[in-house]
Amino acid sequence: MEKTLRVLNELERDGVIGRYAVGGAVAAVFYMEPFLTYDLDVFVILPAGTGGLLTRAPLYEALRTRGYREQGETVLIEGTPVQFLAVPNALAEEALNEALEKTVGEVQTRVFRPEHLMAIMLQTGREKDRLRFAAFEREAPIDQDRFLTILQRHDLERKRAQWKA
Amino acid sequence: MESMTPRQAFARVLEAKERRRHELARLPFLEKVRIVVELQRMVAPILRARGKPAIVWELDEAEGVSKSFEKPR
Repeated sequence: MEKTLRVLNELERDGVIGRYAVGGAVAAVFYMEPFLTYDLDVFVILPAGTGGLLTRAPLYEALRTRGYREQGETVLIEGTPVQFLAVPNALAEEALNEALEKTVGEVQTRVFRPEHLMAIMLQTGREKDRLRFAAFEREAPIDQDRFLTILQRHDLERKRAQWKA
Repeated sequence: MESMTPRQAFARVLEAKERRRHELARLPFLEKVRIVVELQRMVAPILRARGKPAIVWELDEAEGVSKSFEKPR
């Protein structure tokens, strides 16, 4: 995992990707008991390609140059399948911008805050997210004021009420 | 050994599981990653028996797990 994160830091330093942060299940593992997952979800700012459209082609090319090959939707980097996700909306962008600096072994990285992880679960809305949301609420250290503010800002209060009912 | 009703015993088991979840949550992140890899290893034979790919992350020796990686079939 440290080696994988080191590669991500190099990609950011070299300008292949912009700012990145770990989201998804692995981010959740920072805050609660470990559970089974298979991908490391990495949210990134990608440089704009021609016509202003985002493309992962330069990223994949840079990774191939470094010896890391795509496996379906992921890239195997130092033994960990990494899913690169361009921030799809304002909530994910905010989560990326406000991600926390964390140290894993001797490597620095950024991880989504637990409040943003919960908001993204609400927004994504799958049954799996609902179950994980409930576990997160019980087990993770959540700043309730920050969480409620995020819900208000991204119009997720009603969804939260639906899940509580 | 104190005697208890089945309901009491079940409640005690649930309490113990809850305590364990909190203890696991407090583990260092890399310890948790090792557990995730162990979980992947545990389910790999089940997935293969179902004809599904089994993915097990590779961790280097510095992270306390010997290198082993099963490619998806």
